[in-house]
Amino acid sequence: MTAMPVLEAAPGKVVELVGPAGTGMTRLGLSLLVSVPGPVAVCDVQGWFCPLVAWEVGIDRDRLVVVRCDDRTLWPRVVAALAEGVPGIYAEVPFGARERDLRRLGALVRARRTRMLLRPLGDPLPGGLAHLRLRSLRVEWEGVERGHGRLSRRRIQLAAAGKGMGGMERTIVVEEDGAGPVRVVSELGPQTSRRAFG
Amino acid sequence: MWCPNWALRRADAPSDRPCFVVADRVVAVDEGARAAGVTVGMDRREAEALCPEAVVFDRDVAEEARRFEPVVEAVEQVVPRVEIAEPGLVFVPIDGAVRYYGGEEQVVAEVERVTTEVSPRIGVADGPFAARWAAMSARPGAPLIVADTAAFLASLDVSTLETEELVATFRWLGVTTLGELARLPRPAVASRFGPPGLEAHRLASGEAPMVRPREIPPDLAVEERFEEPLELVDQVAFAARALASRLMAGLRREGIAPHRVAVEMETVGGTVRRRVWRSADPMDERALTDRVWWQLRAWVEGAGGIVRIRLDPSDLSGEGRQLSLWEDTVARVEAERAFARVQSLVGPDRMLVAEPQGGRMPAERVVWRRWGDEPAVPPRDPSAPWPGATPAPAPALVPPEPTRLEVEWEDGSPVRVRLGTRWEPVLGWAGPWRLMGRWWRGEGPADRYQIVTSAGAFLCVVRDGRTFLAGVYD
Repeated sequence: MTAMPVLEAAPGKVVELVGPAGTGMTRLGLSLLVSVPGPVAVCDVQGWFCPLVAWEVGIDRDRLVVVRCDDRTLWPRVVAALAEGVPGIYAEVPFGARERDLRRLGALVRARRTRMLLRPLGDPLPGGLAHLRLRSLRVEWEGVERGHGRLSRRRIQLAAAGKGMGGMERTIVVEEDGAGPVRVVSELGPQTSRRAFG
Repeated sequence: MWCPNWALRRADAPSDRPCFVVADRVVAVDEGARAAGVTVGMDRREAEALCPEAVVFDRDVAEEARRFEPVVEAVEQVVPRVEIAEPGLVFVPIDGAVRYYGGEEQVVAEVERVTTEVSPRIGVADGPFAARWAAMSARPGAPLIVADTAAFLASLDVSTLETEELVATFRWLGVTTLGELARLPRPAVASRFGPPGLEAHRLASGEAPMVRPREIPPDLAVEERFEEPLELVDQVAFAARALASRLMAGLRREGIAPHRVAVEMETVGGTVRRRVWRSADPMDERALTDRVWWQLRAWVEGAGGIVRIRLDPSDLSGEGRQLSLWEDTVARVEAERAFARVQSLVGPDRMLVAEPQGGRMPAERVVWRRWGDEPAVPPRDPSAPWPGATPAPAPALVPPEPTRLEVEWEDGSPVRVRLGTRWEPVLGWAGPWRLMGRWWRGEGPADRYQIVTSAGAFLCVVRDGRTFLAGVYD
């Protein structure tokens, strides 16, 4: 089965991942970078990133480099330097990141054809920057009862929007079980349409 | 052999007015413009403002290569296998010629004799890097033959490495000459600056750069025969681009990139000409296309039609720290440069790679090392059985230190979890899994729980009646 036929991190595009910690967006973001030909960089603002998850989704350890940067003023330079030469980047966006810096970064990503996944920790990204915006709506875990079992399988319901979805917001369900990347299991169809005629 | 300001040695350069040549920035300056304050590397507008009376030429490297071709041919009459780095700068391996002519001085004198018209500066040293700086330190008519390459390099400024960020960091650390750099322990330089630092240390020590030549598979060379001889510059440009693209496609499949390429052409009259271009970095498609085009441009006039072009790559750099999984050498070099730049921004302790090791908690199962450091054997064997290890899936976020988490318990079961300012009801939970602490370090036993709420799942540790967050399943 092809992993995630709908969701992809295309070269030169920014994907925005929206959702609080615990909604599976880190694992989803790394899953979108598994097929990147070359190294993958993670820009870790909080200092909490655990590489076990990257290894589980299929990013080999000799392809993964983690940069810890909690300095809001340094962050744009760090991520821009990564975008100059690293083909796949997952970056947390610190609180208070400036729109001007983010737009510049978007232009650099387009020019260098980098696959960039941004996870804002504060405000969402400025409009038009992300080619695809994935927002978690609901998370369901299987495997745990009251004191029994263990976490085994997770289903995440996502709202996918942006140019990458043809301008429509669609609801997509993805699934993961700790072995391999997150998989798309169903698409619930468009929620709303912004197209109009008249 | 170096001909300074080659870009300015053109027929239309005025003798009575200052002039300079610009590409994106100023690349060559004559004495008059220099006296007005114009320097190489300066922005065009700034240079024009400083010296408004100067004649400004736009750079045309192909034309420079064409003008340089007779010089290369003359040198080749004395020593074969001349390699062009750029118009105005050639490298000549002289080992064989020294035996033939009877000494380095004799070879140099012979080269000087055939190139008197361009009054080049000639330097002789071990390896291209030292030879280049020897030539740049020499005076016209007074070649510099370096007997002790390491001693010669020791006095050079670190800026000769021409890696801007690395040089800035070296200066900041108080390392101003190549000698000071060479005296630093190599493992320490490699650890702090990664592969670019290691490369710089090798150059500063007078050693050859780390080109790792491979056996050249014969089918990687590309050749094209033309039934209709190519006579027009545009035809040649098109053929050059197509051939370079074909060559790079083949090299990319092998995961390699050339440091050198030999351009060979055959004319209608049967004359075969061959020239080698070299580059310090592995060439990408654009660099290769440029060099092929510059060379063919130099030959096309007066050739009477080209019937065959062949590109032969050599010094194929194909091995590297992480090449096994990276498809493209050029991409690897770019990525390593980017990593080195980021490392200089954030510091070596914040640019990390991870290795697996044995352990029961997620944080224990990872050993971090600085990017660029040699991998070490993990202290705990990851392949050994670790009964009681937290099962997959692993939490994506693990706090560096266990963080207090407010959890309400009823009859030994978690009921509510405080996340920020709100309380989330517990939807499901698993555990406890007992962890026996290392009593000899004063650690008591603890229990692990996986707790699921509508906002996500968490790995918690309960120790001495207090709950700590040990991971977030993000």
